[in-house]
Amino acid sequence: MESAIFNFLPIWVVMFPFFMSMIILIISKRSEKLRDGLSVATAVVTFLSVAAMYPFIISGEIISYTIFDILPGLGITVRVDILSFSLAAIASFVWMLVSIYSIDYMSHEHGGDRYFPIFIFTLGSTLGIFMAGDFFTLFIFFELMSLISYVLVIHEETKEALRAGYKYLIMTIIGGLALFFAIILTFELAGSVSLNEGTLIHAPSTLAFFAFLSFLVGFGMKAGMFPLHVWLPDAHPVAPSPASALLSGIMLKTGAYGLIRVVFHVFNVSVVKEAGWDVLLGVLAVITILLGSAVALTQLDLKRRLAYSSVGQMGYIILGIALLNEKAMVGDVFHIFSHALMKSTLFLAAGAIIWKTGLRNINDLHGIGKKMPVTMGAFTLAALAMIGIPPLNGFLSKWTLGLGALEAGAPFYVVVLLISSLLNGLYYLPIIIAAFFGGEHEEEHGEGVKVKISEASLKMIIPIAILALSCFAFGLMPNNIAFELSVKAASFLFNGLP
Amino acid sequence: MSLHLPVLIVVLLLAASYTVPLLDRYRRGLTLPVTILSLITAFISSLYLLYLIGVQGPFVYHLGGWPPPWGIELYIDYLAVYMLIVISSIGLLVIIYGAKDLLHEINEEVLSWYYTLYLLLMASMIGIALTNDLFNLFVFVEISAIASCGIISAKADRRCIEASIKYLILSALGSGCILLAVAMIYMITGNLNFDYVAAALPEALKLYPYNIVIALGLFVVGFGVKSALFPLHVWLPDAHSSAPSPSSAVLSGLVIKIYAVALVKLLFRVFPPQIFEAIPILDVILFLSVFAVMAGSIFAMVQDDLKRMLAYSSIAQIGYIFMGIGLFGGRALTGGLLHIFNHAMMKSMLFLAAGLIIYATGIRNLKDLKGIGVRMPWTMGAFAVGAFSMVGIPGTSGFISKWFLALGALDLNRPFYVAIILLSSLLNGIYYFPIIIDAFFGTKVDPVSEFRDVPALMLIPVLILAAGVIFFGFYPKPLLDLVNKAISF
Repeated sequence: MESAIFNFLPIWVVMFPFFMSMIILIISKRSEKLRDGLSVATAVVTFLSVAAMYPFIISGEIISYTIFDILPGLGITVRVDILSFSLAAIASFVWMLVSIYSIDYMSHEHGGDRYFPIFIFTLGSTLGIFMAGDFFTLFIFFELMSLISYVLVIHEETKEALRAGYKYLIMTIIGGLALFFAIILTFELAGSVSLNEGTLIHAPSTLAFFAFLSFLVGFGMKAGMFPLHVWLPDAHPVAPSPASALLSGIMLKTGAYGLIRVVFHVFNVSVVKEAGWDVLLGVLAVITILLGSAVALTQLDLKRRLAYSSVGQMGYIILGIALLNEKAMVGDVFHIFSHALMKSTLFLAAGAIIWKTGLRNINDLHGIGKKMPVTMGAFTLAALAMIGIPPLNGFLSKWTLGLGALEAGAPFYVVVLLISSLLNGLYYLPIIIAAFFGGEHEEEHGEGVKVKISEASLKMIIPIAILALSCFAFGLMPNNIAFELSVKAASFLFNGLP
Repeated sequence: MSLHLPVLIVVLLLAASYTVPLLDRYRRGLTLPVTILSLITAFISSLYLLYLIGVQGPFVYHLGGWPPPWGIELYIDYLAVYMLIVISSIGLLVIIYGAKDLLHEINEEVLSWYYTLYLLLMASMIGIALTNDLFNLFVFVEISAIASCGIISAKADRRCIEASIKYLILSALGSGCILLAVAMIYMITGNLNFDYVAAALPEALKLYPYNIVIALGLFVVGFGVKSALFPLHVWLPDAHSSAPSPSSAVLSGLVIKIYAVALVKLLFRVFPPQIFEAIPILDVILFLSVFAVMAGSIFAMVQDDLKRMLAYSSIAQIGYIFMGIGLFGGRALTGGLLHIFNHAMMKSMLFLAAGLIIYATGIRNLKDLKGIGVRMPWTMGAFAVGAFSMVGIPGTSGFISKWFLALGALDLNRPFYVAIILLSSLLNGIYYFPIIIDAFFGTKVDPVSEFRDVPALMLIPVLILAAGVIFFGFYPKPLLDLVNKAISF
């Protein structure tokens, strides 16, 4: 009885948003209030439904079954293990907060009638990726999410947005076709693409290498891995800020999730090591980290800088996969949590600033911290976490990643992590310093004049504050659920059952 | 009754096509119902035949009770029934759409003649699928060529006439090749019945190897012209783009494929397998299909006219079907044959959607279609489904056929062809997606000054086809079972 409920939950958390997005689409013509309310309610219910799986999953159970077969050996299947659960939980948590934020943000924008149904639909397809039981199902939801989020990217419908969107779309198609190639090669070699088999391809071969390479292109494209990141810095800043938060915070992680699954379920650690593919991953990760951070330095548009920072941060996650040991994997999964929280805080805060003042250029943000102390406070907290200041969550993930690198006998990677932290500091700290200590109106007002506080609306501030505080709460704190989940997920990936 | 059913389908459609002009003179209102009713009957009979061969297995029917080698024989196997279902279902949906669309595309006086030609075309295609006799095959091929020409030129428009003459000449060339090949086979074996010829050919191959190889080559060229295999495709873009939309839909959706099926029947049922050692005809087809897939997509990218773009896309898609034939390795052929139905659904839907746009706004140029999705969300939604299927997004039927084609290529250890399939999918995306993007996003002003509301009767077939594309994307099992039985030669 009890397990029947848990078996039903994965389908529910995917289908419920799909269903609700239709309802929202219909209702949005009638009433805006109802539309907003329903969107938030859907996101909340979805998060609670995901969270309800916690006791079952944490006890080491795996939900796994086939819904129906499309072709022999190829069907729509469900599988929730601790890794899926972790990602689904963080995704639906951030989604819930962003949905609240979106209400006021979108009231200033056009096309809310289109935004909210798509927003909720994307939630369903993202969760579908995490709940998928085989690569084929994963692929379906992956394509669904990628294509539908195109609408979020080009929401503003400016020339710039359309150009970025077109780039995004073409790259998405290329990525999708690469995945198709990878999946069909795996199917040909192994006769199955299920995640339940453990290892599908047991020995490296030319075809297996092509499969790995295609997976890398397909998922790496989404994850913003060098040299396939070119769409990301264009697409993420042009989207409305809540959508950017999700694109950078959550949807990039689907690529990382896919890569983890490829390394551990299509192949296994020893195959990847034997074939030397981890070196390839490592090199790409290092370039991604350094390139993302370095280019972010040169960006003057706030959201563009954040987007490049995402490229760098995704490099950490790919690095964590490349290290191929349990400790690094803990850091890796935990960094997925951390970065989701940090980056969505940053994007939402940037969104609040743009919403309130219309300023996007970093040079114009002098003194903004005095006007919007809560927003900039949250921004600061998340930025410090990004740099890796203890006791915030970013520190913990870097620390664990660093330990993993040492365990792998590669102190070189630790140096890379430190350099990139330095770079992070170089591009985040000036914003913060200028925001709080630089005053643009000094000449006009003189010292001592109190700047009037004008924050964004409460519905926007609260999600930002919650996200920023969770950067703190999931740092060096006792009872860190996120860290526990990461430890369990990593041990599950390496040793089977937790 | 059931014994005569196969021929009755053909006879019924032929009889209906001759009745329609008579009715036109005395009871004009009845022409359309008779057309639709006969196609519905054909569809139901096809399903019944499917049930029948499920019970008793493939069977032969002797026309007029004359056994071969004297009489004409129809062979009702899974391949024939598969094609019967494809033809009658798509044909029915297209003519339901055409009922309203044709009123404004062609003159009222020739409307009933259009139905006549349409029914003739359906009858001849079903004949090609069913027949087991070489000369009979040729006769049906000729009927369908003339009828195709007719439904292109039904629109009294200079470009249509020009296109149909071009088609007529090239198609006659193809027919000539086929006739010559039939004559050569008859000369060598003294038989026209497929089974008798197949029995005689292995022996004859030793005596007259060149004649048989030439006959095979002529068949490939003849059917290649008719099914627009690259580089014999030159007639297709003009013919398919200038014709009335229902004609384009059946021509691109059905007619070019039936010739491919005829070729499949000849290659794998009539000619002995040894012939493939004498001449690498499958490799030739494979190379041509690779060029077709790439060239069709590249030509399509540079078109300004919506229907012309769709026509070039058909050249690429027929390439997939021939690729399945050329990679004759079980699963690839499954993919190729599956693609016959999948592409029939997608392409006829896309042509009908294009027809709807032209009907409502008169716009054909791709650049002028900006913002059309706001006015016609259902039409462009269906168009988007078709485009996704063309690219091979999972969950659409186009994915399934590509999946099998790619698996077949991998089975033969030829990953190169998988790369070709993927590359062409990317090209498909590059020319289909901008249309959808332009239709829905980026323009805030309504570009359409004159807008005519689309009748529900025209929209419904398009939506049924779109639903079919998605349905068979998730549940291809019935089709797959049928196709797998169809290719067990």
